[in-house]
Amino acid sequence: MNQTELVVQLQQGDEAAFKKLVDDYQVMVYNTALGIVQNEDDADDITQEVFIQVFRSVSSFKGDSKLSTWLYRITIGKALDHEKKKKRKKRFGFVQSLLGGQEEVDMQMAEFDHPGVRLEKKERANELFNALKQIPDKQRTAFTLHKLEGQSYQEVAEIMNTTLYAVESLMGRAKANLKKELKKYYENNIPE
Amino acid sequence: MNKQEQINKLIEEALGSVDDAQRAEPKPYLLTRINARMNKGTASVWEKAGWLITRPTVAFTGLCMIVLLNVLVVMNNKTSDTATAAEQTAQNQADELSYTTATIYDIDNTQP
Repeated sequence: MNQTELVVQLQQGDEAAFKKLVDDYQVMVYNTALGIVQNEDDADDITQEVFIQVFRSVSSFKGDSKLSTWLYRITIGKALDHEKKKKRKKRFGFVQSLLGGQEEVDMQMAEFDHPGVRLEKKERANELFNALKQIPDKQRTAFTLHKLEGQSYQEVAEIMNTTLYAVESLMGRAKANLKKELKKYYENNIPE
Repeated sequence: MNKQEQINKLIEEALGSVDDAQRAEPKPYLLTRINARMNKGTASVWEKAGWLITRPTVAFTGLCMIVLLNVLVVMNNKTSDTATAAEQTAQNQADELSYTTATIYDIDNTQP
């Protein structure tokens, strides 16, 4: 079944087509969401939301882009929204703790352990993921798509609906900012 | 190796740490969970209402409104109690001191 046939069947509400869509794209959606939100439960939630949205809005898919590109866009949008909500909640919790009455919210983010990273690289990867949280959303998205999803700059440009030149620039700035954040960290925490 | 060189090495290692990372996979039975979530989304009006009123913000607002209404009712009762008491005192005084003048009607008609 090619993409056009799959989309047509999805638009007709075919359950087998929906199962195929989930089977074929679940790893892609989950891995992208995980790279952005850095929490397995949250990434699982986002993955479910993405497929539900696809099921409900597939009639509006006109086939201008690849199905995978559309799925990437929905995933990134949902993952970044989730991050914003999480930050807002943390700020609200912090203000509440200052006003008293509420227990103080733990402002430290939990350490993230990506299941796909090789064991001997886990420690460095944790530090990289912590640094990733500090850089702007667009740079983080481009970095995640290129490094974790293995997408080429051209594909990243299509997904982010921008030019190749813009992606090159985003990746350059992402790397520079990550180096800055990592340097700041290692200056105080050089491992033994 | 001096500190700066060590830091640069660590930075390079960190940036390259995800280069050969495998893609992470979701937990099994994703489709089942998606279907369950979609069915949950079609809950009845009563279920939705129950979900709404048990939300902390809604429950707290409702509780505040009930307390406020109670306070208003108590305040209102207190005001009317004071007014009734003052009226009663005036009436008692009037009865005791016979402020009112008896009319011819009162004198002539002693029978009920």
